[in-house]
Amino acid sequence: MRIPMLYTLLLLTLVAFPLGAQQREVQGVVRSGETGAPVMSASVSVVGTTLGTLTNASGGFTVSVPDGATTIRVSQIGFQTQVVPIPAGAGAINVSLEQDVLNLDAVVVTGQATTVARRNLANAVSSVTGDALVPVSAQTVESALQGKIAGANIQSNSGAPGGGMQIDLRGVSSINAASQPLWVIDGVVVSNVAIPSNANAITGAASGSNPSLQQDAPVNRIADLNPSDIERIEVLKGASASAIYGSQASGGVIIVTTKRGTGGTARFNVTQRLGYSELRDQIGSRQFTRAEAAAAYALGPAALDRYFDSGGAPLQATNFEELLAGERNVASETVLSVNGGNEDTRYYLSGLLLNEPGIIDNTGYEKQSLRLNLDQRLGDRINVGVNASMIHSVASRGLSNNDNTGRSYYVALSSTPSFVDLRPAQDGTYPINPFSNSNPLQTAELLENDEDVWRFISGVNANFDLLGSGSETHSLNFQTNFGADYFTQKNSLFAPPELQFEQPGFDSNNDRGTSLLSTSGNLNLNGNANLIHSFAPSAGMTATTSGGLQYVDQDLNISRIAGENLIGGQRHVDAATSVQVQQRRQRVQTLGLYLQEELLLLDERMLLTGSVRADRSTANAAPADFFFYPKASASYRIPELGTALDELKFRVAYGESGNQPLFGQKFTALEATNNIQGLPALVILGRAGALDLRPERTREIEGGFDAILFEGNANLEFTVYQQNITDLLLERTVAPSTGYSFEFFNGGELRSRGLELALQANPLRSSGFSWISRATFSTNESTIVDLPVPSFRTGGFATSLGAFQIEEGASATQIVGHNGRNAEGDIIIEKLGDANPDFKVGFSNDLTFGDFNLYGLLDWQKGGTVINLTKLLYDLGQVSPDFALPEGVSASRTVPECHPDCSGLERLGGFGTYTQQYLEDASFIKLRELTLSYLVPTGVVGFLGSVENARISLSGRNLFSIDDYDGLDPEVSNFGNQQIARNIDVAPYPPSRTFWLSLSLGF
Amino acid sequence: MRNRSLTTLLIGAIFLGGCEAPTVPNYNNPSIEDLQSNPTRTGVLTAATGLLVGARNNIASANAYVSLLGILGRESYNFDSAEPRFITEMLIGPMTSGGAFGGNLWTLRYRNIRNANILMGALDQVTGISAAEEQAIRGFAKTMQAHDFLLIINTRHENGAVLDVDRTLDEMNESPAPFVGREEVLSHVSGLLDEAQGHLQQGGASFPFPLSSGFSDFNTPATFLRFNRALKARVEVYRENYAAALTALQGSFLDTSAPLDLGAYHTYASGSGETQNTLSASTIRAHPSVVSDAQSRPGGAVDLRVQEKVTDLDARSQLGLSSSVGFDVYPAADSPVPIITNEELILLRSEARWFTSDMDGATSDLNLIRTRAGGLDEIERPASTAEYVSALLRERRYSLLFEGHRWIDLRRFDRLGELPLDLPTHTVQTSFPIPEAECLARGIDGECGAT
Repeated sequence: MRIPMLYTLLLLTLVAFPLGAQQREVQGVVRSGETGAPVMSASVSVVGTTLGTLTNASGGFTVSVPDGATTIRVSQIGFQTQVVPIPAGAGAINVSLEQDVLNLDAVVVTGQATTVARRNLANAVSSVTGDALVPVSAQTVESALQGKIAGANIQSNSGAPGGGMQIDLRGVSSINAASQPLWVIDGVVVSNVAIPSNANAITGAASGSNPSLQQDAPVNRIADLNPSDIERIEVLKGASASAIYGSQASGGVIIVTTKRGTGGTARFNVTQRLGYSELRDQIGSRQFTRAEAAAAYALGPAALDRYFDSGGAPLQATNFEELLAGERNVASETVLSVNGGNEDTRYYLSGLLLNEPGIIDNTGYEKQSLRLNLDQRLGDRINVGVNASMIHSVASRGLSNNDNTGRSYYVALSSTPSFVDLRPAQDGTYPINPFSNSNPLQTAELLENDEDVWRFISGVNANFDLLGSGSETHSLNFQTNFGADYFTQKNSLFAPPELQFEQPGFDSNNDRGTSLLSTSGNLNLNGNANLIHSFAPSAGMTATTSGGLQYVDQDLNISRIAGENLIGGQRHVDAATSVQVQQRRQRVQTLGLYLQEELLLLDERMLLTGSVRADRSTANAAPADFFFYPKASASYRIPELGTALDELKFRVAYGESGNQPLFGQKFTALEATNNIQGLPALVILGRAGALDLRPERTREIEGGFDAILFEGNANLEFTVYQQNITDLLLERTVAPSTGYSFEFFNGGELRSRGLELALQANPLRSSGFSWISRATFSTNESTIVDLPVPSFRTGGFATSLGAFQIEEGASATQIVGHNGRNAEGDIIIEKLGDANPDFKVGFSNDLTFGDFNLYGLLDWQKGGTVINLTKLLYDLGQVSPDFALPEGVSASRTVPECHPDCSGLERLGGFGTYTQQYLEDASFIKLRELTLSYLVPTGVVGFLGSVENARISLSGRNLFSIDDYDGLDPEVSNFGNQQIARNIDVAPYPPSRTFWLSLSLGF
Repeated sequence: MRNRSLTTLLIGAIFLGGCEAPTVPNYNNPSIEDLQSNPTRTGVLTAATGLLVGARNNIASANAYVSLLGILGRESYNFDSAEPRFITEMLIGPMTSGGAFGGNLWTLRYRNIRNANILMGALDQVTGISAAEEQAIRGFAKTMQAHDFLLIINTRHENGAVLDVDRTLDEMNESPAPFVGREEVLSHVSGLLDEAQGHLQQGGASFPFPLSSGFSDFNTPATFLRFNRALKARVEVYRENYAAALTALQGSFLDTSAPLDLGAYHTYASGSGETQNTLSASTIRAHPSVVSDAQSRPGGAVDLRVQEKVTDLDARSQLGLSSSVGFDVYPAADSPVPIITNEELILLRSEARWFTSDMDGATSDLNLIRTRAGGLDEIERPASTAEYVSALLRERRYSLLFEGHRWIDLRRFDRLGELPLDLPTHTVQTSFPIPEAECLARGIDGECGAT
């Protein structure tokens, strides 16, 4: 390695720095103005210099200051920053910090190694801090973020336990390349890959007209994080903020900082929760009369007698959804953390035990996690931190989503009339479902679909203060971080031979029993090294220069075994007479170099930033070529404008980022996985690569203003932005007579525009009562500005079923479908909807009265279209609750005549000619979080020991959804994480609401 | 400010000094460039066997050749509750050129045609393959290619197909191959088979690469030539060149004393890397007319072929259709699918004989099939060509049941109107449209083709 050598060289030159003038030492203590408690780890810095220190566990500090009168600045997250004058000759000072309820004085991580005070920030970076992140237990971190970030559309793909959620920051950022944000946890780029479970081998979902394996309801792996370990999350929403992350940052960057030790005697926090989940919505099922059943299923009198009494009424009408998804089992969560240390060593140790059974038998989510974050001072100038975390999760996901074999729960329900009884007999055996390939109640009881993940995310970081207090005007720090993110994901699906669909006549190959075993291993290796120089020549001015490099190696290896026809019903795949194996590996190595300059000028009123990042990656066709991503931004704040308006800041930022081709897109390859009767065979693949494939490029400009109002009791952020994404990675359909179906190339342009508003207020604050209210509003629209290929469909199944069509001049998320016939009798295909919502609003209120606290968060989505193919399946099965013609309607109407009040019969009659009857409004208002808590007087729990605080709370997540949606939940995506082809509803796992009773103790 | 310029220098140094740029190979698949520009003997032989893998693709699954042509020819249904287009596109129509149905049965055939062209291109470069071996491989490759072209024109019919595809992707993007009509495509197929004949005759005693058990009777150049001639006979019958067909049949494996199922087959299996035959899917049902139209054997039992190939199942229905019979033609994942059999050759000879005025010979061939395959009584010599064609089509229907022939046969004799339509909304379609992507590549947003 030649790089460390260069740094060594650089270090040697540092002796040339001018040493500071005469200094003296000042001692002091920092306390909370509200409680008088010492404030640990507060930053104490001498204004106009680069001198500074942190407070210790008892709030104390000793700082070198220049001779003569000076001022110090004391800041800590959660407190308002305080500037304190120190007269010449004073040797001790006490500082009292006021609470910063609205986080106006927070410091925001904006780059690999630098932070900026929120007051000066030139981008709209959203932050969520730990307390606000999980007021209600959340299985995954994304669900904890829903409704809290302006400009983020965070949607669950289904109700299945254990995750599977997508985050779209500022709308569509790519058509074919990666679209999810880059996740960086404590400096380590971690994997958020969604690996299909291979349930497709059972459902045959990909054997239909859309071969996507993402129909397996995969979990994107960020779900593994323990949300309660998170100190704060910063969301860099677009290229103007994320340019410093280069060619992996077009989808935005989410920077997660985990909790760290603050020092002092060990403090324990324990939270124990108990709760349960229940089915939140149902589709319902048609109630048949004898005559209707006879007509629908061509049943003879004998069969009808089995289901109907002589009066024509059904002998029983089963609510299958209640039977299938009516489980209400006890869930529990235990969160434990210990925090402490001394002057030189600080630690944070945490553990999590979560067990959340699903609402369907044999489904649920379990997670255990352990974390140790350790910080050690090695002398005056070196700080070393170690983060180690270990996570184990088991998500039992059941069988949901699209299916071409009649096996997933709701696909089976969609052809099963309510008059049949599918409940098990006394001896536990299930009756054959004569109306489908499977009995969903039996499937729920016997089929296992478990995703078992072990994950280790660990890193070491070190900061070398190269100058120490040797200079008053210069500081030079070397920061480095090495980390690894390793996980193995084991997907094990077992469909025992007893299942109806594994029995002769139902299984297409007469193979009895299916066992699937997939193992995926992922290793992300990260290293970065940064040199940060700060220069503070006078009060109110700081110049920070940083430069460094970042190396990321992402290596994912997936192997799948599918065994069918299990000897003796044995689960091991080697007991199968028919075995399919598959291996896929992808690896991308990226090296980035950057240089950044931040200038804080004019009494800290103006911040100018400029940077450039250069990236090369093995994903590009030319792995040695560097691609450059510049950034520039400016902000200016005007303090003390009037009584109501404390401060106004204007900001503008421009930046570019990239989006690498996906692994393998550049190759034209032969397919080496075929054989015929064991004879090796080579054939070409249907996709041709490109010799000049390069990253997509996003250029973003954003501007806006931030206002601080009413003496810091309210603030407003207003942002508008425009992204122009060029060099899109497009698939060009080639004439199939070439033998190829398509090739990749760079071209076209996508534009995304939007507006974001964030408002926070603390209108009431007294000793007994406090009210904090937060609201976010965001809207976004995308347009395909230039498309060098004919318009094409990029998701969905077919135009008759509603499909996403990329078309010049149109929205990237438009949905086209059939809309009758023209004069020539040809089907008219035109835009019928758009998956993108009109706007999103998040609204939370936090009320404290005495020892009680009430908090709620509403998430409102207005507009957007869902393609409800579950409804089509129910219509085809003639079991939609509204299948029969409505009363007073004697003959079927055409879809335009009856829409949107068509009966299933009429919808089906128009199917093929019309699509709109299966498109629905995606609007909803959901109560994401609600919690009522009571601060128990410590005396009551005194028997437990020296309890400092105790809180008991009742809370719930996703308690209700107000929507007009006929399906289960308009928040749905059959194809998993998709920026464009989302909102397709095909027999998803049903949604649930969750209740918790919690007790938290601190001692 | 000195250290700032140092930082700049540092970054510059990294740029200029540059660590070695890493490269990551394609872990999942070998590169095509190796086979094209630097072929090895092993690579070439593996690519030759690859043609059998390419040929069996898109044949034996629900949305593939046998099943889709079965639906069009009212031999079969596919009642897939999640996929109504097996009914809406195939039975009600029209097929849409952009969809997975109307646009199907094209790309994968052309992909195998390209496989064959890449293989033959590699033959020009490779060392370590003898002249006879090269001839054998060329003869094999051209025969397989001819069969792929034949399947293409079988589905596209009057819409035609493209022939000039032995060019690079860039060349094809630049100027797509022109469409040519059905006659010219069949003529091309016939010509390719003749070229292949020439190669095979110089191909030595054995193939240098292994063939599947589907070709166990045709696994040397000399015996493979009999398969080649069998295909030639089918093409010439399709072209109504009956004399040429009779000549070809003489070189084929037609043998009235051999088993009727002697022939070449696509093989399938459920092992890893294999393709499964999924035509036994429970959603696939037989059209009720297959049973109701069948003749009876002496004594009243149904045609042996129906007895063997059709089986009773529980009723299944979708969109107003219903069937309680299914097929036993491909009972398992490893059931082979015939490419051409002795039984078809005898029927081809009957047809060629009739139209070359050997009516007695034609009748005796028909009766051979009727008695041996169907267990039926012999028929008298038909009194008219129309009567003969009816008799021929009946035997072809049951002898080649669910092998993808019925629709083509009725179309050849302009008798698609005889197909039973289950519902008034159903229609008879005569051809698959040219896939949308093929038209769009020529800048045509809409239908395109030879006419």
